[in-house]
Amino acid sequence: MGDFFTVASLVFVVGSGIRLATPFLLAGLGEAIGQRSGVLNLGVDGVMLLGAFGAYWTIYETQSPVLGVFVGLGVGLVMGVVYAVITVGLKAEQGISGIGIFLFGLGISDLLFQKQVGTPFPIRGFGDWHVPLLSDIPKVGEMFFQHSVLVYVAFALVPAVAFLLNRTTFGLNVRAVGENPAAADSLGVSVARVRTTTILMANTLAGLAGAVLSIELGIFQQNLTNGQGFIAIALVYFGAWRPVGVMGGALLFGLVSATVLQWKTLGLVSGAASSLTAMAPAVLTILALVVISRTVGQPAALTRPFERGH
Amino acid sequence: MADHTVPLLELRGITKRFPGVLANDDVHLDVLPGEIHALLGENGAGKSTLMKVLYGLYRPDAGEVLLSGEPSGIATPADAIDAGVAMIHQHFMLVPTLTVAENVALGLADNGMLLDTTAVAGRIRELSARYGLHVDPSAYVWQLAVGERQRVEIVKALYRDCRLLVLDEPTAVLTPLEVDELFVTLRTMAADGVGLIFISHKLDEVLALSDRITVMRDGRVTGETTPGQTSKGELADMMVGRAVQLAPDRPAADVGEVRLAVDGLRVMGDRGLESVTGCTIEVRAGEVVGIAGVSGNGQRELAEAVAGLRQPTGGTVAIDGTDVTGQHPSRVRAAGLAYVPEERMRDGVVGEFTVAENLILVDHDRDPYCRRGLLRLGAIADACRDLVARFTVKTPSLETTTSNLSGGNIQKLILARELSGEPRVLVAAQPTRGVDIGAAEYIHRRLIDERSSGTAVLVISEDLDEVLALSDRVAVMFAGRIVEVMDVADATVERLGLLMAGTGVEEVGAA
Amino acid sequence: MHKRNHRKWLGLAALLAVLALVAGACGSDGDDSAGGDDGFRIAIVAPSASNDLAFTQSIVDGVGALTGVSAVDVTDGTFIVDDAAAAIRGYAEEGYDLVIAHGSQYGGSLQEIAADFPDVAFAWGTSSDTFGLPNVSAYTAASDQGGYVMGVMAAAMTNSGVIGVIGPIAVGDAKLYVDGFVNGVQANSGGATANVNYIESFSDVALAAEAAQGHIANGADILTGTAQMVVGATGVAAEHGAKWFGTQSNQTALGADIVVASQVYKWEVVLQGVVDGIKDGDLGGEAHTIDLANGGLVIEFNDAVDAGHARTLGENTIKSIAAGLKQTGA
Repeated sequence: MGDFFTVASLVFVVGSGIRLATPFLLAGLGEAIGQRSGVLNLGVDGVMLLGAFGAYWTIYETQSPVLGVFVGLGVGLVMGVVYAVITVGLKAEQGISGIGIFLFGLGISDLLFQKQVGTPFPIRGFGDWHVPLLSDIPKVGEMFFQHSVLVYVAFALVPAVAFLLNRTTFGLNVRAVGENPAAADSLGVSVARVRTTTILMANTLAGLAGAVLSIELGIFQQNLTNGQGFIAIALVYFGAWRPVGVMGGALLFGLVSATVLQWKTLGLVSGAASSLTAMAPAVLTILALVVISRTVGQPAALTRPFERGH
Repeated sequence: MADHTVPLLELRGITKRFPGVLANDDVHLDVLPGEIHALLGENGAGKSTLMKVLYGLYRPDAGEVLLSGEPSGIATPADAIDAGVAMIHQHFMLVPTLTVAENVALGLADNGMLLDTTAVAGRIRELSARYGLHVDPSAYVWQLAVGERQRVEIVKALYRDCRLLVLDEPTAVLTPLEVDELFVTLRTMAADGVGLIFISHKLDEVLALSDRITVMRDGRVTGETTPGQTSKGELADMMVGRAVQLAPDRPAADVGEVRLAVDGLRVMGDRGLESVTGCTIEVRAGEVVGIAGVSGNGQRELAEAVAGLRQPTGGTVAIDGTDVTGQHPSRVRAAGLAYVPEERMRDGVVGEFTVAENLILVDHDRDPYCRRGLLRLGAIADACRDLVARFTVKTPSLETTTSNLSGGNIQKLILARELSGEPRVLVAAQPTRGVDIGAAEYIHRRLIDERSSGTAVLVISEDLDEVLALSDRVAVMFAGRIVEVMDVADATVERLGLLMAGTGVEEVGAA
Repeated sequence: MHKRNHRKWLGLAALLAVLALVAGACGSDGDDSAGGDDGFRIAIVAPSASNDLAFTQSIVDGVGALTGVSAVDVTDGTFIVDDAAAAIRGYAEEGYDLVIAHGSQYGGSLQEIAADFPDVAFAWGTSSDTFGLPNVSAYTAASDQGGYVMGVMAAAMTNSGVIGVIGPIAVGDAKLYVDGFVNGVQANSGGATANVNYIESFSDVALAAEAAQGHIANGADILTGTAQMVVGATGVAAEHGAKWFGTQSNQTALGADIVVASQVYKWEVVLQGVVDGIKDGDLGGEAHTIDLANGGLVIEFNDAVDAGHARTLGENTIKSIAAGLKQTGA
């Protein structure tokens, strides 16, 4: 039995939390962009699975993690086209379409895995990249600057997405389309074009999130994501549709998971308490959601297909 | 007016058919540069369809749209903007979560990749100063009052150098003072050569503002005239197609005991702020008390609290001396309240239900509609047929889905249901909003009849003409409380307008 | 309105069509080789992938090793119990000679289904409960025995004195294995400690990986774990050069230079008897256990990893357990 409040233990928990948060963050950022334009995509988890398998299989065949990342992105983009056709083109109901995408991703990723690979052979990813100078800072470097390059990419995307949404013309269009598509349309902004673009971005990021998962774990397995995509959606609500908020939610979720894991590793909790603490991340997220949903409104046109003249 | 100039806009023989409806039938309309052209007509007369044809939202089955003598070529809203045509819809096309500057900048063709709202804000200030449109570019739209939002809409149009501006019922949401300010702005625009189409059903305003008036009914133009050549009565007759009595006859009131007593009522609004801040008012048997006020001053919350739909945080409501404060709506109704809600589609009927189902919505669990938990369909049909006939609800059948009826007929249906219970108190919120003149005339008559038969009637309306036409006493509501109650004989539009704007009211807020 | 609804349905129809195709493709997944009416046909319903290098693969491999079987059909990935129940019932209706419900979570469903088909033989595990039904065989593994052997070996091999154990939920086969392993570590006089971390999930690969990171951060140089989510942990072990002990299947494929040994389940050792019994008209009613003594449990060493004297120690421990000389369980 060890002590949780040692420097080494806390340093590990922070690093662990950051690693766990990364896939949530990427998928959540994408979902946030989509939702800001009024598109709910419940299929994130399915797209993540496809991205994860695409990246895994590519690296399995070519041993190139870079190529794997691009395949993950590409798979996401393709799924984005599919989802855009269904929800923007055919104006189908977003909730059920998203569930369809999820089931599709769940089934196809496993089927392809069974047919093409079969046994979960390990693959090699990027390995940790120690940021020059910064990683040498005692403790801090260990917590923040000794991660896979994909972790840095994910966190660098937070200000990038915030800038996109708040400081660019495209971002203005996105926010307008998500709140009042009729107003945007009346000013000549193409609702369909804006939403198609955000869907492509959202799904590409979901594909990347999946790729990060399989590359970092070095493995693929049926239902590898284990519902992470759905948690990412909850974290978008948690983060009040803001990139920084989504990051906060992902980090909180990751850090709480890491803390609970560390407690168990150190033997501080066991038996029934172990089962209960395992629920902590989910319970915390739900509590925060309840509080936030009372104070912040979702994009007014979320899940509503747009048709001119209605 | 310079009669020799080429019209800015010319609609020639516009015909637009929808399945079963001829929405526009060979409609001609032209607007000269610098002209304010009023388009007058009831709901369903074809005004909106015509404007949607102009704006490229509908393609006409016949006819053509000319701008400055050339075919307009407008097929999308973007084309319309390029051609200098702007439209201010009745429901504002604004994004509440964006700032004024962002709303104006939205969709501008010269936006770069990066958003630069400072330049936009500068030009907004310029336009504000020139046209007397006070707006703060950095304010969020959700923070603005309705009148300010409308100014943002006008700024949007001016920013895009519009040559032709269509305003759909622009005064419906304004105080008399704001209406005056709006008219000044519109006249300035007209003086700059902008052509304006002013859609309205308020006859006074049409006469006061416009250079020319086109009246539509049932998809056709029924007359074109100028304010100098016509009168309110004549315009109303052209709109409805028969002689209309604009103000109902009001026999002398025979006022009895207090039926509805609201005392010091406090109610929270949707945003968690107190909307009704200590409201006191009494309504007696046999009188109509009208509450005038600009939308958002607590009228809706007051009505809902009286009806038991919103929990008050303080004060009391009594019906016939029985305290019903905060009671369940069914208890309030049992005490004798009938309620015609402001949001009739949300609170008044279940849109997907049939006419008959909506008619028995309140009493479906009681004799004669229900025995031992089973609906008695025969009795229901009989009663509903009777109500539909008595209240002249135009419906194909009792089984018609209610949402397919017009606003006026739905309002008559609600009135039929509410009055069939012979209430002690009737609260009617915005009873004729969005209702055509013919139906409004009928509804007004029924309200007066109800009052004359001894019911206490409380009418809440943002339409001053309506308040003045119906009320025996007029109350003005501002910032959540009744600031003054007066006899209708003492109520002038000017006086009410000042009170509605909060001027002339000593001490507001502190309680 | 009409138009919109129409489009909505169109979209849905398109989606459903795609899904149906996928479902069809998945449904045909399985290695049924013959449809011979008179041969002996076995059906397996299992919760994870049939090549998961863990729980499900153990039964698929086991059935594959049986003799006198003409056809095998597998429905895998049915982690939803209702789906599994539907599959079990379907196989019973189709008249398979033996229907195997491979997952203790299927017990409740099986109890009902088996009673409805008294002429069909069922087997299920891991459990020792036959519900008193004559057509149900139960099978379980004394996985604490292999756990104990590997615990003894791990304690002998560790340099840091810390060994990390990753479990799913503390029930059934997983709990047996983990308890046996910990007992094995403690039986060694070297004073090594085993940190146990149940991550409360059979499927969260990312969490299993992070649990492995945690063990290593806390000084562990040898890891083990059970259930299908450990594939995340083996990658972490490989990255940090920690050794790994596997169970349920030979996990050498997950890391040829780190897997010291794996406890492998040979279900065929007991299932062969069940199959032969059915052919003789005995549909079941008994509980079976595979263990080191009957050869149902085998410790497979990876020769690529030099375990030194620990291997000798392990082999001796196997012998004494098989001879009934050691208490391995909780």
